Amino acid sequence: MSRHAPKILDPSSNPLDDICPVCKSNRYLNPSLQFLINPECYHKMCSTCVDRIFTSGPASCPVPHCGKTLRKKGFHKAFFGDLKVEREVDIRKRVGEVFNRRQEEFETLQDWNNYLEEVECLVFDLVEGTTKEKMKAEEKLKSYRAMNMQEIEENRRAMMEDADLEKRRSQAEKEQARQRRLQVVKEEQEAKADLEKDKKKTLDLLATADGNAAAITRQAQKVILKKSSARRNLGDKVGNGSAQDSGLTIRGLKKKLAPVVEKPYDPFGGIDLTPTRYVLQDHYENEWLASAKNDSRHMAGGYSLQEYYSRTMFEAFSGLGVFIKDEVSQKQPGVPASVGSATAVEAFEAFGGNIKLENKTETDDVF
Amino acid sequence: MAYSPLVVPGSADKSAATTKSKLSNTVVSSNAPTPEAGQSSNGAGNDLAEQMNEDEKQKYIKGKKLGEGTYANVYLGHLRDSPSTLVAIKKIKVQKEYTEGMAPDAIRELKHLQELSHPNIISLLSVFSSKDQNLNLVLEFLPLGDLEMLIKDVDGVRYGAADIKAWMGMLTRAIWFCHENFVLHRDIKPNNLLIAADGEVKLADFGLARSFSDPYRVMTSNVITRWYRPPELLFGAKHYSGAVDIWSVGLVFAELVIRTPYMAGDTEVHQVNLICQAIGTPNEDNWPGVSKLPEYTVPEPPNPIRGRDHYLGTFGTAGPEGVDLLMKTLILDPRKRITAREMLEHKWWSSDPKPTRKEELPKKSGGEAKLGEDLKRRPGILDDERSARVARKLDFGGMK
Repeated sequence: MSRHAPKILDPSSNPLDDICPVCKSNRYLNPSLQFLINPECYHKMCSTCVDRIFTSGPASCPVPHCGKTLRKKGFHKAFFGDLKVEREVDIRKRVGEVFNRRQEEFETLQDWNNYLEEVECLVFDLVEGTTKEKMKAEEKLKSYRAMNMQEIEENRRAMMEDADLEKRRSQAEKEQARQRRLQVVKEEQEAKADLEKDKKKTLDLLATADGNAAAITRQAQKVILKKSSARRNLGDKVGNGSAQDSGLTIRGLKKKLAPVVEKPYDPFGGIDLTPTRYVLQDHYENEWLASAKNDSRHMAGGYSLQEYYSRTMFEAFSGLGVFIKDEVSQKQPGVPASVGSATAVEAFEAFGGNIKLENKTETDDVF
Repeated sequence: MAYSPLVVPGSADKSAATTKSKLSNTVVSSNAPTPEAGQSSNGAGNDLAEQMNEDEKQKYIKGKKLGEGTYANVYLGHLRDSPSTLVAIKKIKVQKEYTEGMAPDAIRELKHLQELSHPNIISLLSVFSSKDQNLNLVLEFLPLGDLEMLIKDVDGVRYGAADIKAWMGMLTRAIWFCHENFVLHRDIKPNNLLIAADGEVKLADFGLARSFSDPYRVMTSNVITRWYRPPELLFGAKHYSGAVDIWSVGLVFAELVIRTPYMAGDTEVHQVNLICQAIGTPNEDNWPGVSKLPEYTVPEPPNPIRGRDHYLGTFGTAGPEGVDLLMKTLILDPRKRITAREMLEHKWWSSDPKPTRKEELPKKSGGEAKLGEDLKRRPGILDDERSARVARKLDFGGMK
């Protein structure tokens, strides 16, 4: 039964498949006839036609009502006899390269299934849809590719790594199996040789000794049995050992999470202290400050009027826009998680739960 | 008065008391036992402030001593409610020089630490006074020692450019945050940079800190440990800015790279000489007005300002961008020196190598004792074992 199956799938079984739809030459006249297709339109033609039409550059497809512009470079041998299947597989390959998310990326199975369904719908539109649907799907594919460029690349790499790993693992398994087979063969040979040796010994004994023949044979039989059972035990042990070894490669384990993509280093540690209620100017006109500005002792020592401006402005605006009511209600939902040591939370509360809590109302400094 | 007026009301209860006004005291009293109730239970003579202080004190249990010094003792402590939450309790000793009131270091530390809350600045969790009016500061427990320890252990600790960048990032953020909140630290050095359990560097010891000064108001130039003291302070400037801290940051950077203090002067004069050698001699051309500073004296003959090649030769491991940043922090004229904000905007942070993640930074054990050492120290002086003969007390009396 299984011998018939390939025959049905074989393209040579359909007489129509043997005729080139362009030049009408067939396999009967030209046994080396080879059909090529171009994934632009999937119209097949023989290699002679391809050479004839497309060698001098791109030309339109000779099949009536097609008219797609094809290039010689695009032609290749079809992998599947059914060109519809060939086309669908090509489309799936193309879509799969873009929609290459993996199940690990999804929170729940439901999400993963939804994603798969969406991809399947897209493929269906591309394969079976009307021109309009196709265009829409094509558009969707393009925009998705553009939006998820980086993730696609990452997944592609991850999948390549996985494939590589899988290949290596299967190779290792094959190697192990080969070793096991060799081991078994060797043991068998050893057993045979042992048996031969024992038999020979018994015969020799029978020939030379003058004891009871039956007793000698019985004794020899016993020795053989003992040896083979010992060997069997040994074999079992070895077998167990190898079983344990192979038990280490557990299938279906969840892979480790890829390290979280590190954010670019923020020198400011995520804190922005730019004043929100005013814009600090570079310069403020003030009579009182004029002489400080010209005093070499102030200036040479590096005294910064800029610092003075920013502090004065801050003090002028501090407290405005602080509503205790709001802060209390914000604080209720729980103390926010804080960085640092275990006591950091304590510190957080001690300072009123606000990272920027400067309360510079007291300006005079005894020192 | 028989009680300390310095109780942080915000930590006494967990209310939203964000101001330290008299108003918040009333908020506290609504949660804490009322004065009447307190009096009835504890007897007469226990007023509200004493009651609050007592409540605060009861929250912590003092454990073993981590370090003892002339200025303060440091104890390991933990919360009464949760023994696993460790704290460091810095008990400031009553000092002979300051019989009336508290030592200025303690007040400075309190005043600024309680207002600055940032991941890279040590947290002050609480304050209370114990018997004999000893001031106790409850600080975050930082078990992994300080940067000086790591710098000095050349054989035991190895670190690279990425680690230096991570540490410098944390230090620069801390100082940026201080300056943004108008606080001058005035004592930045590797042994004031403590390391938390997760590797985070925290700026500690605000005993010399003060807020930015108003114009015409003099500040003392007698601050910052000598090796890290900028030229304007060595020349006796009375009006200065955050640039003084930046110089110290630059020298910490240099020390991290070469693993030895870059300019370790024995005296002020020696320190000026070292600066003139290593950076260049300050004069009216590169620093207009410098000769008008009260204590301006420079050695003869003058040295020209060192070029980039000199820095690249000495600090090449920091990379060209790092050297550029270092040079900008070590500009003689404080007005031309880079600011903390500009430092954080420098392109060194975005260039390779990426700063090490704080959890992966090099560590060294034995930090507990070191924390005790660091916290008990009087601010502004060099470590005894590093230069015993030049340790010098700060003259706070002459600063008025």
